[in-house]
Amino acid sequence: MSLEAFSHSEPLTLGVELELQLVNTHDYDLAPYAEDMLRLMKKVPLPGSVVPEMTNSMIEISTAVCHSASEVLGQLTPIRDALVKSADKLNIAVVGGGTHPFQQWHERRIYDKPRFRELSELYGYLSKQFTIFGQHVHIGCPDANAALLMLHRMSRYIPHFIALSASSPYVQGQDTAFDSARLNSVFAFPLSGRAPFVLTWDDFGKYFDKMTRTGVVRSMKDFYWDIRPKPEFGTIEIRVFDTPLTIERAAALAGYVQSLGAWFLADQPFTPQEDDYLVYTYNRFQACRFGMDAVYVDPATGEHMPLREHILMTMDRIAGHAAAQGASNAMHLLRRETEAGQNDARWLRERQRQEQLLAEVSRQAAQRFRGTPA
Amino acid sequence: MNELFGFWSQWLRPSAGLPTVQWSLLLAAAAVVGYLCQRHTGLPKVVGYTLVGTLAGLAGFNGAVWPLQGIGLFLVELGIAIVLFECGGRISLRWFRHNPMVLVQSIAESALTYFAVYWTLVWLDQPTQVAGPLALVALAASPAVLTRVVADTRAAGPVTERAVVLATLSTLYALTLGSAWSEQMNRHAATLLDAISPAVVVLGVSILVAAVLTLVLRMALRFMSPTSENTSMLLLALIAAGSTVASHMGGSAPLAALLAGILLKQLNPRPWAWPRQLGNASSLLTMLMFVLVSTVAAQADWSGPVAGAVLALIGVRLVAKALGVAIGNVGSGASWRQALWVGCAMTPMSSIALLIASQFVVASPSTGYRIASIALPAILLMEILGAVIATVAIYRAGESSKPWAPLQRGRAGESNES
Repeated sequence: MSLEAFSHSEPLTLGVELELQLVNTHDYDLAPYAEDMLRLMKKVPLPGSVVPEMTNSMIEISTAVCHSASEVLGQLTPIRDALVKSADKLNIAVVGGGTHPFQQWHERRIYDKPRFRELSELYGYLSKQFTIFGQHVHIGCPDANAALLMLHRMSRYIPHFIALSASSPYVQGQDTAFDSARLNSVFAFPLSGRAPFVLTWDDFGKYFDKMTRTGVVRSMKDFYWDIRPKPEFGTIEIRVFDTPLTIERAAALAGYVQSLGAWFLADQPFTPQEDDYLVYTYNRFQACRFGMDAVYVDPATGEHMPLREHILMTMDRIAGHAAAQGASNAMHLLRRETEAGQNDARWLRERQRQEQLLAEVSRQAAQRFRGTPA
Repeated sequence: MNELFGFWSQWLRPSAGLPTVQWSLLLAAAAVVGYLCQRHTGLPKVVGYTLVGTLAGLAGFNGAVWPLQGIGLFLVELGIAIVLFECGGRISLRWFRHNPMVLVQSIAESALTYFAVYWTLVWLDQPTQVAGPLALVALAASPAVLTRVVADTRAAGPVTERAVVLATLSTLYALTLGSAWSEQMNRHAATLLDAISPAVVVLGVSILVAAVLTLVLRMALRFMSPTSENTSMLLLALIAAGSTVASHMGGSAPLAALLAGILLKQLNPRPWAWPRQLGNASSLLTMLMFVLVSTVAAQADWSGPVAGAVLALIGVRLVAKALGVAIGNVGSGASWRQALWVGCAMTPMSSIALLIASQFVVASPSTGYRIASIALPAILLMEILGAVIATVAIYRAGESSKPWAPLQRGRAGESNES
């Protein structure tokens, strides 16, 4: 199977996918209600789509093509409201966050769909451990080569994305000491991590052909890279975000990606290098482990600085592009929280320190998702 | 030899006596049979417990007295109270606001069951004084059996949740009406006030005890962690005290516990962690309850006409429950397939039905005897058969998180042979 052609998309358009948790309202453990939610959601006319995910306590929502962060929020809001209404009808709750804090992976059931059954057979217990919840942001690129250039430029900001979205400090009832423990589960998959450093679509096609010849890969879906091209949409897809606890933050993160993209296209600020990836894994680890308190190693200069400072510095640099894209509100929300060193992982830890009960933390997170203060 | 016995007798001390030894051995046997039953057939442990109790009852074991009284009655009431308190905590009134069809489903299946069983028994020439109470006994599905089945199959999902809630609600109706009916069985109600006063007393006392229990627990939860072992012990102790007080004051102990569970859930929305904490203590108590119920129920006198009435009651009840759930299913967010499995999962009858039947016997021994002659075999059959049907329903609904063991072994055997 050869690589499909890169479709046309309007540059800097956005698409957001959110994987969400379905929990019961009794002890707030994950609840296998995906099929019931899909049945109810099918009756509601909405932008975007609602689809099943790997295990039947998960659901994925996505927007249609959007032009700005506010449009993303405008589409996510009715989808969220419909989800909450359906959940109320089923006596369950919908929650954001990159992991469920205390679910036991072995209790999960694979959603009954051929691709998920196939993945489950191939990956064994990893597929159940893949009960993790991420946000994917698609950004439209002018053409295929520009997409690869955008992809490798964007990879310098992977630590930003991780720290800003981190919401998975708890796994199986324990504080992992990571702000984003979710990405450790992704790392277990053989084709995860960074994309190969190729900057033209022709070269990427050659790489894809070699991989398909080995029989390891059949389609782009088999790559679990942090950022991957999505030729059928004409986008690149950034996959390192934990699902935030609120749709407002999800939309703001999309606005941040768009503003960065606008800066890349307008100013061509730097040319990505293979050597950028020398510090990639270290920076990624720092962001996962320490969140806003991580250290960032500049791939170009090798300078060490607090990640928080680098995020703020970047925000200053792209402020004009953010304003042009209508993402000023998004940037304002993220800046305020960055200055305070706040992210969802910290919120979850603060709640747990207060409540001493992870189930209660999940309940309050569910209140947050539905837009009601806990 | 005499010297040896004389020497030994000096070492003997007063103890709890032979009945305690008999009960301990019976429970030990139940634990083994329950385990083997689940290990080799995949059926829930409660089936094994019931079989042991049935055999003991049929063999004339006299450790349990019918109608229930004394320590036996207290243990059954306490076991039911703990289960119902937990089930009450699963009932969110908010759910009925967002999905009133669940309430319609509950009322439909309960009403249909009552009237279907009543008219069938009247048609079978049972007097109305017997048919009415029996219809009330049949109304109560057993959350106790269902929650044990759910625990054994490690089930979760829409069918499981809805079946537990509907079974709990049917219990609520049956306990309220059953207690009130038994109170007025031997009274001639001259006025409307006379007629409704028993129900008012039962409900009033139960609500009062439930409110006090709720407030004390809510206060405790302000400074105690729900995951603490001590919180679980406090809970058990308070439910035991509440059960005793409610019964003593003319209320219904299980009803008070059920209402307390519902009230506490509304006043304290924090998630519950007690079921996991209660652990083996609660499991032992519920096992004791199942053995006791089957031992008592097995003491019924069997005869041809009784068997006919029992089978008719069971059959009609099964159909009525399924039909009632189906009637209220429209717009309730569940599929027709799920409605069918919910109806099936609600078929078990057990301790609550026995308790209600016992109340009728105490209230009016003559009518009560006729009621018990049909109720006891029905309860015994449906404690076993109902558990099996509920298990099949949960597996068929795909809500167990573990495969049915015998099926898996069968498949492994096939693949080994090929």
